Amino acid sequence: MCGIAGFLSATPISGDQGARIRAMLAAIAHRGPDGAGYVVDDGFAMGTVRLAILDPAAGLQPVSDESGRYWLCYNGEVYNYRELRETLVSLGHVFRTGCDTEVVLRAWIAWGPDCLTRFNGGFAFALYDHERQELFLARDKYGKRPLFLARHGETILFASEMKAFLAVPGFRFEQDPQQLAAILGQWTPLPHQSGFRGIESLPMGEWARVRQGRIERFAYDTLSFAPTETVASEGDAIERIRERMTDAVSLRLRSDVEVGVYLSGGVDSAIVAALARELTPHPLSTFSVEFEDTEFDESAEQRLVAEHLGTRHHARRISHADIAEACPDAVYHAEVPAFRSAFIPMFLLSQRTREAGIKVILSGEGADEAFLGYDLFKETLLRAAWNELPEDVRRSRLERLYPHLAHYGPKDIAAVTGLYHQFSAEKMPGLFSHELRFQNGQFSARLLNAPSDPFAEISALVAGSPEFGSMSAVEKAQWLEYKTLLPGYLLSTQGDRMSLAHGVENRCPFLDPSVIGLAASVNLRFDDGFTEKRLLREAFRDRLPGAVADKRKFPYRAPDAAAFAARRPDYLDLVLSESELANLPFLNAKFAQRLATKVLTRPAEEVSTKENQTFLFLLSIALLDRFFVRRHDLGQAGISNALPPLQRAVDLREEAAPHASQGNLASLT
Amino acid sequence: MDKIRDFIENQFLIEFDDSFPEDSDLFKEGVMDSFGYVQLIRFLEQEFDIRFTEQEMTGDVLVSLVQIRETVARKVAARAAG
Repeated sequence: MCGIAGFLSATPISGDQGARIRAMLAAIAHRGPDGAGYVVDDGFAMGTVRLAILDPAAGLQPVSDESGRYWLCYNGEVYNYRELRETLVSLGHVFRTGCDTEVVLRAWIAWGPDCLTRFNGGFAFALYDHERQELFLARDKYGKRPLFLARHGETILFASEMKAFLAVPGFRFEQDPQQLAAILGQWTPLPHQSGFRGIESLPMGEWARVRQGRIERFAYDTLSFAPTETVASEGDAIERIRERMTDAVSLRLRSDVEVGVYLSGGVDSAIVAALARELTPHPLSTFSVEFEDTEFDESAEQRLVAEHLGTRHHARRISHADIAEACPDAVYHAEVPAFRSAFIPMFLLSQRTREAGIKVILSGEGADEAFLGYDLFKETLLRAAWNELPEDVRRSRLERLYPHLAHYGPKDIAAVTGLYHQFSAEKMPGLFSHELRFQNGQFSARLLNAPSDPFAEISALVAGSPEFGSMSAVEKAQWLEYKTLLPGYLLSTQGDRMSLAHGVENRCPFLDPSVIGLAASVNLRFDDGFTEKRLLREAFRDRLPGAVADKRKFPYRAPDAAAFAARRPDYLDLVLSESELANLPFLNAKFAQRLATKVLTRPAEEVSTKENQTFLFLLSIALLDRFFVRRHDLGQAGISNALPPLQRAVDLREEAAPHASQGNLASLT
Repeated sequence: MDKIRDFIENQFLIEFDDSFPEDSDLFKEGVMDSFGYVQLIRFLEQEFDIRFTEQEMTGDVLVSLVQIRETVARKVAARAAG
């Protein structure tokens, strides 16, 4: 795993380009503490900080071809690189390393952007064509690895994390109220959003060409839930799920360093751990977050799985104080406003993981999206059928949906029925499945003065996606999850950004395209969807403790406002004091203050979910302003700004040096 | 009856004014969710010693302050008459 950064200017750049790229790389050094390398050309530089996982000795970056025309800075993993390498060798390509980075380079040279559809993995890369002075940027199809773009005068900047732009002289961050409205409304940024004016995220499944100060974007993948295979029976489905998951885990165990597993206590990560245990020759290390607050704690199931599989289990126990203390650092690494605090324990868990000497982990992310694990999908099924269902069926399905929420008990079921009645017909075109969620988002959007329509952009996104219109209500719900919560929070704020904060790479077997394709072929074919992920559970029941195989979905959450109310850290002034709130003129300070005061003073049971969410949004927006806009207290956020050992530095402007030697030998240290 | 307005304003952190009139749909405006709806119904039943029928709770009668007031007034009057 790595971090990449760079810039390409349409006009000559004054100043030391090498110094500038080194400073950008230093700002993301946490992503790749094992080494740094960069290449410089006229008006151009790019580089990599590298976490060495495959072929640690030979995988120095940037890499180039023999001619020195193409240069690659690459972040991520293409898991099927061995197969692609064989294909490329059969086409006459000669390889110098065993690293997947070189496979990506030669695949691009062989097939151009068409290579992207052949890649199975999570990646983001920058490929520079020295001859034409063009830059190509690309990102994987599910948004596993990040890539941000920004315009700075005549220069296009790019980086794995926006904090690299802090190192660019004259670059200023400004929070964008229009994007914030969308983030507050739908919980996460949309695929192209960053929360900051003038900074774009390259959407998943896209590549971009940068030349002469222009950025052109192209989509190479379209999300589809059409069945990809014919499944004859339930038994056939179960057998295929076993095979496909085994292959997906096996591919992701390809590593020259030890691979561990994050155990959440749920069935998905338990399946991944069980398969990893079977497929790994050495003892398996597992890692979990435990909570002092029993409402959130799943340590019993985590330990059950660890004992069942005989893993070396490591737990990081989280208190309210831990959350309050680590929050600023975690927000700095997340870079975008967050609607819950659950990413903060993951920041501490990756620290624990790294301390145990593990720098690659597998996790269960993506299972709920593929196999319809979320309540959202059941809700959508129920609301879509609401007006055709008799009263008693509505009630019994509601009771099946929400047994774990106290306020959904029998006494209150009539009130919930009333709520569902209000949401049984589509009000926002295309967004039916998410209207209940977005209604809570509407509350969060009140944090802004005169917010623009929070849902204008997402409405435009679905309207402009031809594949979306013909999907079923549940497929639309999936599509929206794959475009919002999964990439915009789970894989990023709670995933990549937290694990790479401590140089740990996370891999997700459930994001394998063949797993997602199979799930689309079996979902709702053999059941009504109200026992979530039933086929997946059946496929692995015999390898898991019964209590975990049958465990109902328990959303991973952490104490929200209660953690801050208990500890009252100094930085709460940012959201309580009038003078601090005045730094954020786009906020409705009166509402913000009332909300913060309420959630920090009332008993936790009187604080609703949406109030907790809105508070976390408020706090993270204020902290982002402090770190990125005002650049205060950056030291507290734990930024070392030290460049990892420089392993390669190439200057293409040195005309005397022949291309071939630049590509292969110009390692400086 | 301003107790209802006070409850909603305090509970949901809003203020009724020209930009947010009393006939606003509290669901559509994102003010009310299931948690808040249950709290509101409990408050009204306790405060005014009334009981909502299932039809009232599951229908469209409790979506704005104006409608809630009318419904409560009607039920209080019915109880007094009964």
